Amino acid sequence: MQNLHIPATTYSPQVDFDFSRHQLSLRGESYPENASVFFAPIMAALDAYLAPLDHVRISVDVQLAYFNSASTKAILAVFERLNDAAVAGNYVTVNWHSDPDDDTIMEFGQEIAEDNPALDVHLLELV
Amino acid sequence: MSLDHFYRFQDLARQQSVVFYYTGYFSQAIVSAMGDALRQRLNQTDASNMQRRKLFSVFIEMAQNVVHYSAEHLSASDSTDQEIRRGALWVGEQNGHFYVVCANPVAREQVGRIRDKLMPLLGMSNDDIKQLYKQKLRSDNDAESKGAGLGFLTVARDATEPVEFDFIDEDGPLSPITMFYLKASI
Repeated sequence: MQNLHIPATTYSPQVDFDFSRHQLSLRGESYPENASVFFAPIMAALDAYLAPLDHVRISVDVQLAYFNSASTKAILAVFERLNDAAVAGNYVTVNWHSDPDDDTIMEFGQEIAEDNPALDVHLLELV
Repeated sequence: MSLDHFYRFQDLARQQSVVFYYTGYFSQAIVSAMGDALRQRLNQTDASNMQRRKLFSVFIEMAQNVVHYSAEHLSASDSTDQEIRRGALWVGEQNGHFYVVCANPVAREQVGRIRDKLMPLLGMSNDDIKQLYKQKLRSDNDAESKGAGLGFLTVARDATEPVEFDFIDEDGPLSPITMFYLKASI
């Protein structure tokens, strides 16, 4: 299927879903006016990509410096889908980056790991 | 307004250490541009990295709240994107702390709903607020909410003191519209 590339704006992240190489990344900041409008096509592409996968190693790289409350909810939904894919027999590694000064984003990475035990989550420093 | 009034207005803002003040119409583009200016302004202060992050977070949640919910809008009332609505927002500094205040008109019939969301947060510890945030994040959206319904909780979570709020009847007690004020200190 077609890869998904959305360039960053001041208030929305760069989305780089390289489905052919099973590498997904989100970078930048996320506070679009309407997070559900922004994330809807991303979720649709992710669902279409994940549905037929079996025994595939997927690597997810998240380097977000800030996201607002509505984006937080959407990001959680992304990881729920990935967890379902891991439960279905795929291997999903998540590299979750946060600034050492940012407890909120680091703790949210921990929560993602706790909520989605099928994911292999690594908490790393944002550089 | 004469220039003398503008001067007094500026002087009061200076006395109150207002770092940033905007009143008028809020859109996503304005929020984003103000956010940039606020960050640059904060870089010139003694604010710690954590304070800057929390301040920016509170600023965005409050400003987007105006974009989504202010009762006075230039955009169509049923639109969910590209909205433009009226409000005001202040950022100030006091004794090493920062505060963010936002004000926007709300329909009087919304007062009870807003009060019900904010009142329980006033007496809660930061840990309790974090727990409630976790719980709400995983529950279904409030039907009347355009975001995740987590804006006030995020503001309360990032504030170092309980939030303050009030409703002021600028156009008298019979007006269908009242002004909603929300203040958070960081």
